[in-house]
Amino acid sequence: MAREVVIGACPHDCPDTCSILTTVEDGKAIAVRGNPDHPFTKGRLCVKVNDYQNRVYSDQRLLYPMRRVGPKGSGQFARITWDEALDEIAGRWKAIIAESGAQAILPYSYLGTQGIINGLNVGDPLFNKLGASVCERTFCDSGSCTAYMMTIGHTPGVDPESFVHSKYIILWACNTLSTNSHHWPFIEQAKRNGAKLVVIDPVRTRTARLADWHIPIRPGTDGALALAMMHIIIKEGLTDRDYIDKHTIGFDELAERCEAYTPEFASAETGIPVEDILKLTREYATTPPAVVRIGVAVERHAGGGQTVRAIACLPALIGAWTHVGGGLLQLPIWAFPVNWPGLMRPDLQPETMRVINSWALGPALAGEMPLDPPIRALFVYNANPMAMVSQQQTIERGLAREDLFTVVSEHFLTDTARYADIVLPATTQLEQADIMFSWGHLYLSYNNPAIAPLGEAVPNTELFRRLAKAMDIEDPFFFRSDDAMIADSMDWSSPVLAGITLEELKQKGYMRLTMDAADAWAPHRDGNFPTASGKCEFKSSLAAGGNFVAPLFRQGYGGGQSGEPVDPLPHYLPPNESPRTAPALAERFPLSLISPKSHAFMNSNYGNLPAQVAQAGEQQAVLLHPDDAGPRGIAAGTPIRVFNDRGTFEAFATLSPDVMRGVVVAPAGFWQRSNQRGPTVHALTPTAFADLGHAPTFSDMLVDVAAA
Amino acid sequence: MAYVVTDSCRGCRYTECVTVCPVECFHLDEEMTYIDPENCIDCGGCAPICPVSAIHPSWQMPADKAGWVEINRLRAAETPVVNAKLPPLPGADERARRLAS
Repeated sequence: MAREVVIGACPHDCPDTCSILTTVEDGKAIAVRGNPDHPFTKGRLCVKVNDYQNRVYSDQRLLYPMRRVGPKGSGQFARITWDEALDEIAGRWKAIIAESGAQAILPYSYLGTQGIINGLNVGDPLFNKLGASVCERTFCDSGSCTAYMMTIGHTPGVDPESFVHSKYIILWACNTLSTNSHHWPFIEQAKRNGAKLVVIDPVRTRTARLADWHIPIRPGTDGALALAMMHIIIKEGLTDRDYIDKHTIGFDELAERCEAYTPEFASAETGIPVEDILKLTREYATTPPAVVRIGVAVERHAGGGQTVRAIACLPALIGAWTHVGGGLLQLPIWAFPVNWPGLMRPDLQPETMRVINSWALGPALAGEMPLDPPIRALFVYNANPMAMVSQQQTIERGLAREDLFTVVSEHFLTDTARYADIVLPATTQLEQADIMFSWGHLYLSYNNPAIAPLGEAVPNTELFRRLAKAMDIEDPFFFRSDDAMIADSMDWSSPVLAGITLEELKQKGYMRLTMDAADAWAPHRDGNFPTASGKCEFKSSLAAGGNFVAPLFRQGYGGGQSGEPVDPLPHYLPPNESPRTAPALAERFPLSLISPKSHAFMNSNYGNLPAQVAQAGEQQAVLLHPDDAGPRGIAAGTPIRVFNDRGTFEAFATLSPDVMRGVVVAPAGFWQRSNQRGPTVHALTPTAFADLGHAPTFSDMLVDVAAA
Repeated sequence: MAYVVTDSCRGCRYTECVTVCPVECFHLDEEMTYIDPENCIDCGGCAPICPVSAIHPSWQMPADKAGWVEINRLRAAETPVVNAKLPPLPGADERARRLAS
């Protein structure tokens, strides 16, 4: 029996990018486990990935190309060959381009795998070359990224491993134990070293339960808290004047702006008592090193961008950056010298591209958006919008269009893939090679393929090689091997890759970027912010150009930005939908709904697999405060309907005082066609963008709940 | 849902599990360890490093071990947390060899 252990890296859209050891016997993967040698992920995986081999060998896997043989959405398909599939795709695309122009084709993708060569940008060169519509992919952190760029630039920020040196840690809208769990031991070590841990969250999550202080906050009001913290810091003289003078711009204007944001104002908005706001601020400003870790959720409301602007100003105000373990942690991805232009190839684009935002898929497909030409072909990979994107019924109506030619590349017949005309089989991480960045630690990873591809599944890289050939493209760039693509994916001349070779990386599976060690990393001790001024910009110079989405999320396209005016100073925008801002709506729908990540699912990944579905409780659960459930006659474990004017979904009630009164929590990820048997939470989510970076606002909605 | 320590631990108590657990959810008595299901985050780190394969996820319990789900819940509530590795119980290696054979 041939037995070997292959080193790889987790492909999922998660900050942790775990080092994985796969045991292979006679060509079959029999187990995966965490790599005990990895300094950050330390031998553990998680509830999603512990049995990854069962995903790979699931009897639900798509292993061959298929063509639809029943009505759209019926899930009836018949096996065809790759040649037949490619001929049909290329034939339809060429005809559509000839009749309507390439903009009638819309690619649709995100981070079903986040490997650098198979992930976010793998299709960009082809669709840029064709001149298809650009899919502006603002699923996650786009508002935060715009705000972050405006304030402190694209800095990796605090090394997550430096948290062991922190003395005051604020996890702000971040349920670490469910969504970033390998960071937890560093936080726990800090606690052992005497640090105080504060969690700001509307829900007493499993992370909040382990904190020294959980501060419940009304959804979408975090900006008011951050602005009031600045008000107090300035008013009480808790600022680091030397740091402000040397390394920031716009302090006087910021101070003037913050005058109105009193603790009383913030208390009325957030529901946090004034004395708690004062205590939090004083402790934060006087307990160095102080660090804030923001999660992805903090941007998902009307003022999400300005919220991140305000939070990103806080560390400079108190000079937190002068300490190892002090500052802000958002996305350390910016430390990785990824060759983004080489991945996206914006140079291949025609002069102007048509941009369609990912959250507008429903209206774009269903003819509810003025589009000339209309979308006639849709190509979906690394994404399952029917489960995860707002206006679910509208998307369904669009996908059901007889004249829409839809191709979906997938592991499984997802809610989206059921509507495809052609389905293509994609490999899992065990069947493909990739190089991985991380947005939660500072190790570059290499994923060695552990097994041969199953059936006729291909990696996304091979998929796009085949599509380029079928579309008669001759440029050799489109036909590079995976090895060549991996070699081209990074700027190997960057100092952070000094001493790192691909050969060694393949063998070790991960290597730390060549930066100061975690016990010395203080990137902004002397300023050096990657902004236009080189300083922390309380008053942002980038605001002059108006609202924008980072080109990384738009296939590298910089044109056609929405450009609405942006206030150069942080300010508070209340939620669109809350009892305070929309009282008439709240008469009918009095509860605020948030839809965080499920502990057992990775977005909609695993929403069809038995082990994770079991751990998610078999059915969609919605958490309610007993005081909200009682008057509605809702008992624990009973079926309920959750609804607003946009839609309805069914769930089972979980009752606990862990959630604030007036707030309901519906973790996302179940599929319509697996256990949910009907619309998911995204049938109710709003379509409005947050103020910056076209972030979604799906933690900013009112609903009501009734016994079913 | 949680991971569950079963009777294979009894008499060995290697406590390798404790070194990998990120949330201090292991408890112990004189004979073995128990996992607190309220704190376990299902990370699965403990199962593969147990020298006697005593730890299973609660949704994949061998049929003859199903009763240990409840025993872990009850005993974890009554026993102290263990957050550092201890020496195994006397005779553990001999017992582990027997279990493996």
